[in-house]
Amino acid sequence: MKSLRRIMLVEDNLNDIDLTLAALEEHHLANEIVVARDGAEALDYLYSRGKFAGREDGPPAVILLDIKMPKVSGLEVLRQMKSDPALSTLPVVMLTSSREEPDLAASYSLGANAYVVKPVDFQQFVDAVRQIGVFWAVVNEPPPRNAIK
Amino acid sequence: MPLRDLPIRRKLILLLLLTSAVVMLLMRVSFFTYEYLTFRRETIRQLSTLGEVIAANSTAALAFDNQDDAREILAALKANRHLVAAALYDGSGKFFAGYPAARPVTAFPTVPGGAGFHFEQSHLSGFQPVTQRERRLGTLYLQLDTGVVMREWLWGSLQIALGLMAVIVGVAYLLSRALQKQVSQPILALAETARAISERKNYSVRATKLGEDEIGRLTDAFNQMLDEIQVLNRDLERRVVERTAQLEAANKELNRSRAVFESIFESLPGLFLVLKPDLTIVTASDAYLKATMTTREKMVGQNMFEVFPDNPAEPDATGSSNLRASLERVLATGTTDNMAIQKYDVRRPDGVYEERYWSPVNSPLLGVDRRVEYLIHRVEDVTDFVRQKPAQDGDPDAMRIKLEQMEAEIFQSSQKVQASNQQLRSANAELEAFSYSVSHDLRAPLRHIDGFAGLLGKSDGKQLSERGRGYLAHISDSARQMGTLIDDLLVFSRMGRSEMNLGPVDLRQLADETVQAIKRQEAAERKIKWELGALPVVHGDRPMLRQVFVNLIANAVKYSRPREEAEIEVGLFDEPEEWVIFVRDNGVGFEMQYAQKLFGVFQRLHRAEEFEGTGIGLANVRRIITRHGGRTWAESVVGSGATFYFSLPKNPGIKT
Repeated sequence: MKSLRRIMLVEDNLNDIDLTLAALEEHHLANEIVVARDGAEALDYLYSRGKFAGREDGPPAVILLDIKMPKVSGLEVLRQMKSDPALSTLPVVMLTSSREEPDLAASYSLGANAYVVKPVDFQQFVDAVRQIGVFWAVVNEPPPRNAIK
Repeated sequence: MPLRDLPIRRKLILLLLLTSAVVMLLMRVSFFTYEYLTFRRETIRQLSTLGEVIAANSTAALAFDNQDDAREILAALKANRHLVAAALYDGSGKFFAGYPAARPVTAFPTVPGGAGFHFEQSHLSGFQPVTQRERRLGTLYLQLDTGVVMREWLWGSLQIALGLMAVIVGVAYLLSRALQKQVSQPILALAETARAISERKNYSVRATKLGEDEIGRLTDAFNQMLDEIQVLNRDLERRVVERTAQLEAANKELNRSRAVFESIFESLPGLFLVLKPDLTIVTASDAYLKATMTTREKMVGQNMFEVFPDNPAEPDATGSSNLRASLERVLATGTTDNMAIQKYDVRRPDGVYEERYWSPVNSPLLGVDRRVEYLIHRVEDVTDFVRQKPAQDGDPDAMRIKLEQMEAEIFQSSQKVQASNQQLRSANAELEAFSYSVSHDLRAPLRHIDGFAGLLGKSDGKQLSERGRGYLAHISDSARQMGTLIDDLLVFSRMGRSEMNLGPVDLRQLADETVQAIKRQEAAERKIKWELGALPVVHGDRPMLRQVFVNLIANAVKYSRPREEAEIEVGLFDEPEEWVIFVRDNGVGFEMQYAQKLFGVFQRLHRAEEFEGTGIGLANVRRIITRHGGRTWAESVVGSGATFYFSLPKNPGIKT
């Protein structure tokens, strides 16, 4: 089995964080997970600034990004990442409650790599998170390190 | 003819002749000069030889002083007819003897001059010493008449010169005639070509090149010029053709659009008459012709008041004079003039006058210089209106007031419609925000309930009682059901709000796709007899109409589940104004008294244990069909199946 790469979860709701971590743990995908509680914190982490200044562990393999968050929304984070050549190659999976068309359209037009609606059914949710985790943190080959500054 | 106008051929011949003549002449002159000088020298030499002979002969006569001998010796000079005088002088210079003897002594020089002969006018004369053994005995004088000799010599010389000239000029003429062709031929050929081209306008002709000299180069340049002219000419011709075609097309288009505009004007539903400022009629709308019972041919070009005179049976009629006054006001002010309702009797073709009431408006058509170019006379035939309301509204002004009131009311209600449109828009925006928030925020707690219930079951399920585990399952079920309800509601709300993308939709194709999809899922283990009829292509929103088929066919499959072999039919009734499409099953059916409730949101006629579902599918169907301008209804006999109908208008004025 391939080694696990770091997953970043950007999520404001504690319940969702617990459930997502539980789902990842259930499939042993949770050994390295970074959680940001809103968009601003996520950007600080990605740019190694603020409380993440001096961080040297490089970018995560994938970012699971919620849309509706306080301060900086997921769509804003996505927009900033995709317009910065240093971050634009990082895979971003939108993980959100909303199936609303405007959200879908905005996410894809900003360059999201995938869009997953969190199912209400927990078992389905676990499945979805497992598939995301396995695909992005194990199966998928991330962009070369020198492509991300 | 001046030299410059002579043909080149003659010019060349003349040139050559002139040149050779001049050369000839110059040569002749120099030769003549030479000959003349030689002639003089020779004459002098001859005379001095004669002088020496005579002098030698006369030594004896002089020595012996014998004058008779001397005279005799001199007389011998007679043989030379040009010698006109001769004389001998003795040693002392005294006249001794003379010739001719008759010549007086005074006619001779009185004393002898120095030795030597000289020309003097027409004579050559001079002195010759007479010596004997170095002893000077006397002097001889001789005078020769050179005039005659010179004349003879000159004449001979001239004859030779003229003869030679004639021969040379003749030869030169013949030669030049033959040789000038070398020069003139190519020029003439070139000129001939140029003339041919300018006369026949044939630019494909080329001059023949006869040599590599300047004319050859000129021919080349000329031909090259012709090439260019030919290309230019061809280009020009092509452009003329193109431009002509364009012009023709433009003309055609102009005529066509003119015809279109004419027919548009003529078929305008109102009564229109177009006048020139001098009140002659330019044209009229068909409606006007109909109302005035005349034809366009009879009125165009005529003065309006000759075509439409006042009724002579009514001397008080003011129609014409009012109209004339109004038209004059328009001409004077350049602005529209509304006239009060006029009683105006129309003359029928049979000459009888018919009473009409007209409401005319006269407006100007201004030209670029802001002057009135045409007058537009528009009338409203209000005869029926006036006749119907003579009791209440005999006064046309009262009617005008009423009309204005009506207009004001219409304006007010349109304001109201605009206001409620605005309200509707903001309500829609709120609904949008509401469903966005529902989508995000309402589903999250449900997910958490189900999630934590699931986690609880996993971590501590074994410690719970059977009943406790049942409760956990109920919690999860309820949360999931609520999730489904919310999703369905959101879809329903979206169906009402989202923009419709209209286009042709093949309903048969939609039905086929839906049946295939259902066959792959639920109906895989079922025995279903499908019967799909012909369906039309309609104008609508494809995803929405697919939703209709999905809901209706899925319902048919669901409610026919108890049947061993389900029969599902999709078919069409082709009505004059609309298509009626139906989906029929042999399922459990429903009681007709609840038929109207079926299409409401969350309305169900069965318990969830019997048939799953949220009761939103048919509400969606109704909403979609309504937005397409159609209707929905259903028929059923309990226990033997149901038929769901929806209609779509054939000529849709769809509300979006």
